[in-house]
Amino acid sequence: MSHPATTISSVKLAWALSWAAFWTGFPFKMIVALLLLAAQIHPWEGAGLIALLALSVPIDIWALGLTARTFFLERMGIEVRGPVGIGLWWQGAVLGVVTLGVAYYAVGATAAVCQKATAATLELVNKVIPIPVAEQITIELLMWAVPTTIVAIIFLLIGLKLFGWRIKRFAVASGQTSPAGLQERVREWDDWRVPADSILMLVSFTAVAVLLTVAFWVLLPVTTTHRHPDYPPPPTDAVKKKVKPEELLKKTDASLAKAEAVLELLEKEKAKEKKKPAGTGK
Amino acid sequence: MMPLLQKVYDFVDERIDLKTLEAKMMKEPIKGGSRWAYVFGSVLLFIFIMQAVTGVLLMFYYIPSADHAYASTQFIIHEVDYGWFILSYHFWGSSAMVVMVFAHMSQVFLWGAYKSPREMIWLVGLALFGIVMAFGFTGYLLPWDQRAYWATTVGVEIMDKTPVVGDFMARFLKGGPTPGQMTLSRFFVIHVMVLPGALMGLAGLHLFLFRSAGPAGPFRGTPEELKAKTDFFFPRQVWKDIVAMAAVFLTISSLALIEPVVLLEEAKPDPGDYHPEPEWYFLFLFQLLRWKIFPASSGSSSARRRSPLRSCCCWPRCRSLTGARSAIFSSGPSHCCPGPW
Repeated sequence: MSHPATTISSVKLAWALSWAAFWTGFPFKMIVALLLLAAQIHPWEGAGLIALLALSVPIDIWALGLTARTFFLERMGIEVRGPVGIGLWWQGAVLGVVTLGVAYYAVGATAAVCQKATAATLELVNKVIPIPVAEQITIELLMWAVPTTIVAIIFLLIGLKLFGWRIKRFAVASGQTSPAGLQERVREWDDWRVPADSILMLVSFTAVAVLLTVAFWVLLPVTTTHRHPDYPPPPTDAVKKKVKPEELLKKTDASLAKAEAVLELLEKEKAKEKKKPAGTGK
Repeated sequence: MMPLLQKVYDFVDERIDLKTLEAKMMKEPIKGGSRWAYVFGSVLLFIFIMQAVTGVLLMFYYIPSADHAYASTQFIIHEVDYGWFILSYHFWGSSAMVVMVFAHMSQVFLWGAYKSPREMIWLVGLALFGIVMAFGFTGYLLPWDQRAYWATTVGVEIMDKTPVVGDFMARFLKGGPTPGQMTLSRFFVIHVMVLPGALMGLAGLHLFLFRSAGPAGPFRGTPEELKAKTDFFFPRQVWKDIVAMAAVFLTISSLALIEPVVLLEEAKPDPGDYHPEPEWYFLFLFQLLRWKIFPASSGSSSARRRSPLRSCCCWPRCRSLTGARSAIFSSGPSHCCPGPW
């Protein structure tokens, strides 16, 4: 009897796993991207992109492992033990780098050659039958975009075929066929994934959510970074000086003591003036 | 920790029969099992709650007067702590709500979930769609900048062309010959009082009707197959709903961070360099206005026949031209017959 993994198409297998893993990991990557955005770091360039890609690696490994185990169990009836995610991820990463690298040059070269050929062909045709501009643009676009798209699709299929072939080998090497029925296998898999202590899981989830929320609000700028021209930012020198309470109290005490002394002196002078005999002025 | 939680749970359960409520909420059977296609309704509810929360926060600072609306909105953006983010989230949330309404209605339409015995759910859903669009329309004026003023002017102009009620509606909303204080007051009251009340009432009715009729289930598969795959609302569908809500929240937040709201100049009766146009979800009507598809005078029978607005209320009742059975066009309780318009 043939192994269940050998009966499925490599392309279908690779597509099913990659697609499901992408959407499984996507929300988590979105959280990372949002935190970066809140910190005013663009996740699509420079340090932000590097941080996002670096953090995407463990997310992808986890997502690929989860979806691969589910797919193997539910669709093929194979139980796979051990580190499935990392085992498949590195193979996918290597294949991705090689295939995408080659595809990048192949698609670029195809586009360049087709554009040149299109321009030469249309120039020749225009000498015989002049083509209106709008039609010319459409024909030009179709003549170079169609072969380029075909080449891109071919490389996508090659990549999926190779990845699917590696997944099959992995499943055959590390998987064991399960004798249980579909419902039983799904129930088992659910039991593995859901922790026995549901309260602990709920508390952990809540704690992580609170932590992420706090991190978000801490990173988020308090006032807008996109200011309206009529509402310029407050000048930096207008920032209040730091108040040192002890010094302020000492200064106030000294001022009060000084004022008290002056007051005392004034009162004494007034008393002296009152003591002088009346009518001396006449 | 656990005994305390249990005590609290038991205390509440003894008084309001929490267990029965929980069973009703969570153990609703879903024919054919949980699906990502079912998340749109829950996501809509989530977006509405977030819009309500951010809207209330904005109302703490917003002043609905023609003299102060612009300045108070600028104050929210430039002075209030995190005000810029709350306002931007509210702005992008409105677009997300429109997108999600379209997604939800498309799912119901494509899966044939409007058919007997669920016609009432569809009709109430149509009313809710109208309310969501009205939310977007009335909220757009409130910042009182050039974009708000002129988008509303164009919007009211479009509304004026609606057969029968258009003229009255336009005059009622404007409250004068040109948009001014009365317009702002009316839009504000409708936005924060009338529409939320109507939406809460109709959404409650929508959910009640949905629970009464039960979910339609997928359009493929025999009753036996669907019954075999039947699952409860908790945990699989709940988990899918939570993931979808998180994704929507993250998307709206990202948009608010990438493109925060920046007001134009304060509203004035001269558009100046500004090219007036409504928000994207009213652009199709705006284009029809440009093409002069609407009649010059409204309310005539010919105008009613030609009005594209009637399509918004049209029951999905056509059969496939090819005769092929599909979820949309399969023979249901509704048949292809001339509509009332």
